[in-house]
Amino acid sequence: MGSLLRSEEMTLCQLFLQSEAAYACVSELGELGLVQFRDLNPNVNAFQRKFVNEVRRCDEMERKLRFLEKEIKKDGIPMLDTGDNPDAPVPREMIDLEATFEKLESEMKEVNANSEALKRNFLELTELKHILRKTQTFFDEAIHDPTLTDEAVGLLGEEIQRAGQALKLGFVAGVILREKIPAFERMLWRVCRGNVFLRQAEIETPLEDPITGDQVRKTVFIIFFQGDQLKSRVKKICEGFRATLYPCPETPSDRREMAIGVMTRIEDLNTVLGQTQDHRHRVLVAAAKNIKVWFIKVHKIKAIYHTLNMFNLDVTQKCLIAECWCPVTDLDRIQQALRRGNERSGSSVPSILNRMHTKEEPPTYNRTNKFTEVFQSMVDSYGVATYREINPAPYTIISFPFLFAMMFGDTGHGTIMFLFALYMVIREKALQARKIENEIWDIFFNGRYIILLMGAFSIYTGLIYNDIFSRGVNIFGSSWNPNNKTYSEHVLEGWTTIKVEPNETCFKGPYPLGLDPIWQHSENKITVTNSFKMKVSVIFGVTQMLFGVALSLLNHRYFRKPLNIFCEFIPQLIFMCSIFGYLIILIFVKWTHFTSKDSSSAPNLLIGLINMFLMTYPENDKNPSVHTFYPGQKGFQIFLVVLAVLCVPWMLLVKPLLLRHWIRHGQQRHAGTYYLLNGEVPEVVHHSDNDTEEEDEEEPFDFGETLIHQGIHTIEYCLGCISHTASYLRLWALSLAHAQLSEVLWGMVMSTVLRMDGLYGAFLLVPVFTVWAFLTLIILVVMEGLSAFLHALRLHWVEFQSKFYTGQGYKFMPFSFDNLMDYSLEEK
Amino acid sequence: MSFSELYFNVDHGYLEGLVRGFKGGILKQTDYLNLVQCETLDDLKLHLQSTDYGNFLANEPSPLAVSTIDDKLKEKLVIEFNHLRNHCLEPLATFLDFITYSYMIDNIILLITGTLHQRPITELIPKCHPLGSFEQMEAIHIASTPAELFNAVLVDTPLAPYFIDCISEQDLDEMNIEIIRNTLYKAYLEDFYKFCEELGGATADSMCEALAFEADRRAFIITINSFGTELTKEDRAKLYPRCGKLYPDGLQLLARADDYDQVRNVANCYAEYKELFENAGSNPGEKTLEDKFFEHEVQLMKNSFMMQFQFGVFYAYVKLKEQENRNIVWIAECVAQRHRAKIDSYIPIF
Repeated sequence: MGSLLRSEEMTLCQLFLQSEAAYACVSELGELGLVQFRDLNPNVNAFQRKFVNEVRRCDEMERKLRFLEKEIKKDGIPMLDTGDNPDAPVPREMIDLEATFEKLESEMKEVNANSEALKRNFLELTELKHILRKTQTFFDEAIHDPTLTDEAVGLLGEEIQRAGQALKLGFVAGVILREKIPAFERMLWRVCRGNVFLRQAEIETPLEDPITGDQVRKTVFIIFFQGDQLKSRVKKICEGFRATLYPCPETPSDRREMAIGVMTRIEDLNTVLGQTQDHRHRVLVAAAKNIKVWFIKVHKIKAIYHTLNMFNLDVTQKCLIAECWCPVTDLDRIQQALRRGNERSGSSVPSILNRMHTKEEPPTYNRTNKFTEVFQSMVDSYGVATYREINPAPYTIISFPFLFAMMFGDTGHGTIMFLFALYMVIREKALQARKIENEIWDIFFNGRYIILLMGAFSIYTGLIYNDIFSRGVNIFGSSWNPNNKTYSEHVLEGWTTIKVEPNETCFKGPYPLGLDPIWQHSENKITVTNSFKMKVSVIFGVTQMLFGVALSLLNHRYFRKPLNIFCEFIPQLIFMCSIFGYLIILIFVKWTHFTSKDSSSAPNLLIGLINMFLMTYPENDKNPSVHTFYPGQKGFQIFLVVLAVLCVPWMLLVKPLLLRHWIRHGQQRHAGTYYLLNGEVPEVVHHSDNDTEEEDEEEPFDFGETLIHQGIHTIEYCLGCISHTASYLRLWALSLAHAQLSEVLWGMVMSTVLRMDGLYGAFLLVPVFTVWAFLTLIILVVMEGLSAFLHALRLHWVEFQSKFYTGQGYKFMPFSFDNLMDYSLEEK
Repeated sequence: MSFSELYFNVDHGYLEGLVRGFKGGILKQTDYLNLVQCETLDDLKLHLQSTDYGNFLANEPSPLAVSTIDDKLKEKLVIEFNHLRNHCLEPLATFLDFITYSYMIDNIILLITGTLHQRPITELIPKCHPLGSFEQMEAIHIASTPAELFNAVLVDTPLAPYFIDCISEQDLDEMNIEIIRNTLYKAYLEDFYKFCEELGGATADSMCEALAFEADRRAFIITINSFGTELTKEDRAKLYPRCGKLYPDGLQLLARADDYDQVRNVANCYAEYKELFENAGSNPGEKTLEDKFFEHEVQLMKNSFMMQFQFGVFYAYVKLKEQENRNIVWIAECVAQRHRAKIDSYIPIF
């Protein structure tokens, strides 16, 4: 419990590790995850550090693993994730690993090169097959289609006649990427001045590119031309557009023969390709079994060497010196881990852990479990607590869901939320193992405990507000009962709504739990709930703020700053109590001292508060709202206001003036000043050797600066008290909005159908219920839930924590393999 | 139009933000100081990993080659540029296209020169800058005269209008290729300058300055390189881009120049160029004129980032990134060849 209230006590340690044992020790510490190493060579380049070669070898291994992983993923082989966590391998094993990876990689590369060559061959053959098939149709058309022949003759006729029969049309056939066709055609036309004839046909099935493995669409083309010069030009263009040209025999019989030859070769190639694929598959399946474990091993080795790079070598080169932060309570476990590391490495000289004293601010380390973790992270995202400062997280566990529930008060919605969270909590392990990669799901899943509590508290506040999906339930029987004399059946029937006078209806004593269900039907329901919720908001708000101020007392006491208690805590407390504490008392007085009979003559609290500041107390006013609660109220209230106003200069001036006085008069009280100012005297005593230089480091006292600083704090606090109290009214406002929204949804959607008669209504109920249920879930539970969450968060971060929390620490980041694995997984 | 700043962010705000973010990833002086200490290319890779380049070399097996680094650097720039190009709206789209034209010109010239020396086209293609690649590029070697080049290849590309002036050239030899390059560049720069002027506003302010400098630099370099060649003075004068600060007086003076000193005299009339020529030289310890120009360019480009709501930042980013690539490759070459004497002649950006 102590660790949750304040962060762990940390200490700076110096580690002396024997060179041969350093690796094993760091590995053990990494498994433990309780030590944060400091970089002792921040000025040294990454590539000039001692273990840079090992890090580089790890990089190389990682690269090979990534290559393998890519190949495995390409083939869609599932990678076995057993979830086991192998120890970091000893340095010797690194060589074995390297050899294994090297072998695998070269094997893979060979297989890939082979299959690439085969595939290229295969592609060429398939292209040739397509060419033969498509060009066949071109030639066939030319023979069978008389119009085309005529046209062709017409087009080419003149030239043929001119050149005589000896001139023959040459042609080239090839395959080109489909998207290049338009530019290709245009360029052919331009370069050859229209003297070529291009036919094209698309290949329907996409072909596989042998290098990238992508599916590409291609087109077969055949170009007719005459003359050698044109031929060379056409070939150059084809080359330029990366078209592949294939020999195509001129006579149909040759073509047929070639086609048959190609088909047999394709079949042969297919079997060879199949065998290569099989081989590749076998290699990859074997690799896939181990690849996760290998990744973890390599990550660990790399992490260890990275850490070792942060160490200093001592003069004799025999041992490594490290500096680290670690929690005081875990020193024993760290010692044990070091001993284990020494044993593993077989080193005779033990590693030494030495506590050091330092002026440096230690990191903040709050031990959490899976339940408190989410609350701690909520506090941390505002600001990490200053070292050993009061941690608001334990209070947040209860106050956060409660304030949330005050805004979200509805038993029905609360139950949905509760059950959802309960499902996540119960199936926790199974859901975690499934590793759902979805950001939104992650948010909900990580917040499952907070959602569970929010749901549970909402069920409770819903019962108090008597709201279940905006309906009230009559569990104990309403205490209100129309008296038969005044409210006879006759009278009741004539009215759709009726104002029930409390004094004339039978009143059986208060309803046992929360709001009486009769309010559901009352005209003035909102007036009543508003008044109730507003007052409750102020009461809880002021209480929480007073609690925050009280926590600041604990901080002042812990850090031994009595001056802050006298000059900050006490005036702050008086200021708050004399205004808002007094208001709360009045609220309770009003609740307890006015019954339904004289409630109309009760004084108004808000006007009372305003008049208290204006100091106007009208004597003979008819209006009961400005009356006083008790005799002597005027005098007492004036006293309270004066007290509160006096607190302002007290907070503002006393501390700076006092400090200046002490600094000016008497060096003999110097130590006392420091004691009061910083509370560091008891600690300074320890490290006598550093004392002198530390004294010099202290900043000189600057009165103006201190005064301005104090002024800012005073203004912030005084204005804050007022605005923060008003800010807590959001509890009421959101609760009102939530109740009204759900009521409107019920009234507009469900109740219209429920009021229908007959079969028609019954059937309509099904779709309408679906709509209502959907809207309830999306708008009322999810959206309203988020908004209430945000407001509750704000109330904690701003209104509550500003009273005591400085949050200027930095987080303890232990060197831990677990974090490392999470991180590397996220990276992907 | 006078309120263009007001609406700038509607269309281009995202990309401007993005490019300013990219700019944050440009290597700093401290990075260079670390890089020049590298012993091997693997050290270089390790250090680049800790910069914005991240794991861009992680999947390359060692030993690394300088050309791999160069390719990867280019690839990264191209990915970023294409991302910008794919998300932009007019007139930024045209502006970004203009940036690619200069790479196109370089690619065309490279390919023609290559084919002139009987190199196979497959060997030349990988050497082309990927930013300036276009569909018909690989078929360029079918052309044997400028007219053919225009009719067959370039007529469909955006460079077609710039090429009109070169068609009259007779055949493709070394000299003519250089003339074609410079004529193309001249037409391109003038067109780009005009486009930026039409855009107006802050874009015109920053871009016209950058392009004017580019034009003047070309004029100086053409003049200096022409000494001792067959190029006549009249032909040389035709190659000067007429959108710089040298236009018109300076260009006339340059056209009459016969040696380096006369060029320097011309530069002395212009404050910003005077400084560049003053302590430039080829002796050890001195910076070459080329480096001086690069330095000045980097300065201009950095200034471009001072202004908001304008397109100059995109141009500036590409130029700065290119300079950075040159720097890294230079350092990598020095490291690879163990030639450390000149490793410090990179041009730091920030």
